[in-house]
Amino acid sequence: MKGKRVPETSSSVTDSLRAGNRVVGYGIAAIVLILLGAAVFLFLNLPDANAFNTRVERLFVENNDLTSGAEIKLLEILAQSGTSFAEVLVSYRSVIFVLLLFSSALLLAALVFLVTIVALNRRISAIQRSGIQVSSMVISREARAVYINDLEFALTEASLETLAVLAEARMDDEVLTGAQIEAVISGRNEADCDEAAGATRIKRLRDTLGNQLVSELLVKTIARRGYMLAVGKDTLKMI
Amino acid sequence: MRGLALILTMLMLAVPVNAECYADYKAKQDNPLQLAYGVSAVSNAACGKPNRAKAELSPRLAGGGWTLLKIVSTFGPEGLNERKASAGDFFLRY
Repeated sequence: MKGKRVPETSSSVTDSLRAGNRVVGYGIAAIVLILLGAAVFLFLNLPDANAFNTRVERLFVENNDLTSGAEIKLLEILAQSGTSFAEVLVSYRSVIFVLLLFSSALLLAALVFLVTIVALNRRISAIQRSGIQVSSMVISREARAVYINDLEFALTEASLETLAVLAEARMDDEVLTGAQIEAVISGRNEADCDEAAGATRIKRLRDTLGNQLVSELLVKTIARRGYMLAVGKDTLKMI
Repeated sequence: MRGLALILTMLMLAVPVNAECYADYKAKQDNPLQLAYGVSAVSNAACGKPNRAKAELSPRLAGGGWTLLKIVSTFGPEGLNERKASAGDFFLRY
């Protein structure tokens, strides 16, 4: 029997995560675009060795006096030194490109971390507001205990049975009536079961678990010393 | 008498005294860049007309693997000697 879905308690967290993912996507696209543009600009603007040759050639053409063999040889040497510089330029280009890749990787990582931090902060504040958030719940029949987060709660046999039934129903997204709980645990037909009997089992479960939960989370027993509220001083206020 | 003198001067202006005409030029080769200054003979029609001299010389230089950059000037045989040293190997080569 399918019941109503349990309402999501952390919708704001998932929403902010989705928004964060979108921001990451846009950010990565922007970074890649900017760095691609920079790379293209760099490659187009780096002078090649022929620029040197054309300068020398222009010098040669524009000055009618530059005709003697020695002068021409000098110009040629000038052009050749420029050409040898071209190989240096090529290596510069690759070095700059590698640096560009590194910087883009770093930028991407920084962006991802930034958004992760923002999302985590939101999540943490949401957790702080919602009180106890169950992130894990392990029911151990053998130890006759339930582990909620890292807290261990001892249960009676009957309470453990009730909790196990509820857990199985939760896994199938089902809601059980008191009669159904009683029917599952006692093994009798549902029609023969009393709604009140199931309600009693739930009440007992709540009592045993609730007592320990409250003692663990709120009123702590400090061995051989006494009792203390397990909340921060700055969170307390009397009105 | 005066008319004859005028005709004579006009004739002297119209037809160069000597039939020979030369041009000095600048040329280059790429990869690696090599520059050259040279002197070549051109037809009389190109005398005093750098553009025509250029059109004449370009294919001749291209045959030797050179690109003509510029015609510096055109001149008669009297200008050959002073340019011989500068032109070197390229003196009347093409």
